[in-house]
Amino acid sequence: MPRIMPTFLTFAIPKGRILDEALPVMSRAGVVPEDAFHDKANRSLSFATTRDDMRLIRVRAFDVATFVAHGAAQMGIVGSDVIEEFDYSDLYAPVDLDIGHCRLAVAEPAEGAAAIDGASHVRVATKYPNITRRHFEACGKQAECVKLNGAMELAPSLGLAGRIVDLVSTGATLKQNGLVETRRIMDVSARLIVNRAALKTDPRIAELVNTFRSLADRRDAA
Amino acid sequence: MTDRTDPSSAPASAPSTSIPLASPLADLLPEGLADCLPAAAAATTQAMAAALEAMDLHGYDRVSPPLVEFEAALARRMNGDSPQRMFRFIDPVSLRTLALRSDITPQIGRIAATGLRDAARPLRLCYAGEVALIRADQLDPTRQRLQLGAELIGSDTVAAAAEIVILAVEALKAAGARDISVDFTMPDLVDVLAAGPMPLQAEQIAAVRRELDTKDAGGLKAAGGDAYLPLLYATGDIERAAELLRGLDDGGALTSRIDAFEQVAAHVGDAARITLDPTERHGFEYQSWFGFTLYAANATGALGRGGTYHIVGSDEAATGFSLYLDPLIDALTGAIAKRDTLFLPQGHDRSAADRLRAIGWRTIAALHDADDAAALGCTHRLIGIDVQPV
Repeated sequence: MPRIMPTFLTFAIPKGRILDEALPVMSRAGVVPEDAFHDKANRSLSFATTRDDMRLIRVRAFDVATFVAHGAAQMGIVGSDVIEEFDYSDLYAPVDLDIGHCRLAVAEPAEGAAAIDGASHVRVATKYPNITRRHFEACGKQAECVKLNGAMELAPSLGLAGRIVDLVSTGATLKQNGLVETRRIMDVSARLIVNRAALKTDPRIAELVNTFRSLADRRDAA
Repeated sequence: MTDRTDPSSAPASAPSTSIPLASPLADLLPEGLADCLPAAAAATTQAMAAALEAMDLHGYDRVSPPLVEFEAALARRMNGDSPQRMFRFIDPVSLRTLALRSDITPQIGRIAATGLRDAARPLRLCYAGEVALIRADQLDPTRQRLQLGAELIGSDTVAAAAEIVILAVEALKAAGARDISVDFTMPDLVDVLAAGPMPLQAEQIAAVRRELDTKDAGGLKAAGGDAYLPLLYATGDIERAAELLRGLDDGGALTSRIDAFEQVAAHVGDAARITLDPTERHGFEYQSWFGFTLYAANATGALGRGGTYHIVGSDEAATGFSLYLDPLIDALTGAIAKRDTLFLPQGHDRSAADRLRAIGWRTIAALHDADDAAALGCTHRLIGIDVQPV
């Protein structure tokens, strides 16, 4: 007898950077979105999949973590930068998908950022105020964070902040804006994340985690 | 006249004395604090009474410690960051710092070590009361919660663990939880393994623990905990997880522990689904060999946790659990059936009303001729000595 699955599973995936690399990994694990998902004109936020007990939602990367932490989505894919920034206690990241590689780094103008720093604090423009604060605290400095949602690279030249903390992959954007990377905070890759309570109570989640994990193991062995 | 009469221009943090009564801000409650209206209050009363009765039937005596204590005394019996999360203020009498309790467990520990120090062991105590936090959890804005629980003081054996798990499941069931699942964990696992078969440098332990807590496979490797990686996946239903864990345990450092867990699970039997997650440590900072978390199908998130521990100060062994029923009560509030209520018109037969109340009728007496039975929620009306539907 097939088990009756009364409730929908919701799988959250981020718009942008990670998505193109994530889709093939997901499809190997049996999570394949309906065709409408690939239709650029489609404004839906929620999509069916080839599994009739699962739907996909496509949201901003930071929101993937929030949906999963609250249990509104049971699982998702997101960068380790986002996991680290929120540090949600109800989020597990059991599989490193080895995609979406980049790093989170501090960058400042080639001539330095001293002009805008105080004696005991630095001023930083970033999308990651928590990671930034923790990083500078560990260096014995208080970081005054200016929260921006994009185009961090503009902040130093306009005097908004002395330096920035942002994702760097090739470094080309930094270079174009006259910035140099001064310190690497963490290496980032995409992770499969699951909600703690959902993993404990719904056997389907554990099955999917195992599928993603055996794919990752096979990749590591290859 | 100031611009304060316009509510939209008054800052939310304005002192209450300067807010006119007509402003909607005059009755604003602080974040994370709320009134419990009749439907929710009824559901809470019912769930709490049923859970307390289940504990009473197993011989647990209820105790009621005070809401406020000296901060230093309370904090001494707490672990982790919890002392910082209490509301604190100065006692105008003693001029010492007082704290509003954020957890009742340390108070039960104090009672066992002081007032009931000479009572026979094992000592079975239970409690129910409100606790408050100065800052809410990350995911749950609530700053006041109802905490219910039981402590078995003087024992932390397999038999004690089994009794406490079964009691927690019964209390939850009585409160209205369905399809309960209990997730077992080994709070001291990293200490045992780091000291034996999977050695770690002292400075690595905290990082490995942290990554195990978030089950972060990538992070665990980066923290030098490669050997611990298989533990992340030795989870799930107890039979399967225990077998996986045995497979990982070459030297037999965990054999007695795994046996004990299987015995506890055997005692619980079919009363709940039992899963094992050996590395879960979040919220188990002060537990010793055994910990568990409770979940139910009709409530989101964990409903409570418990385990074995040693009472701070007296170092007496104990086993216990705490339940936070709010998510369950949210689910039950809508489900409580509307009760039959009898409308008593003015000048009704008082002795007839007394007799009806004695056999369980709930009555609402009219104070005025114009009182409307239906609008007041009455389902029946007393006419003479007859009960008739409204």
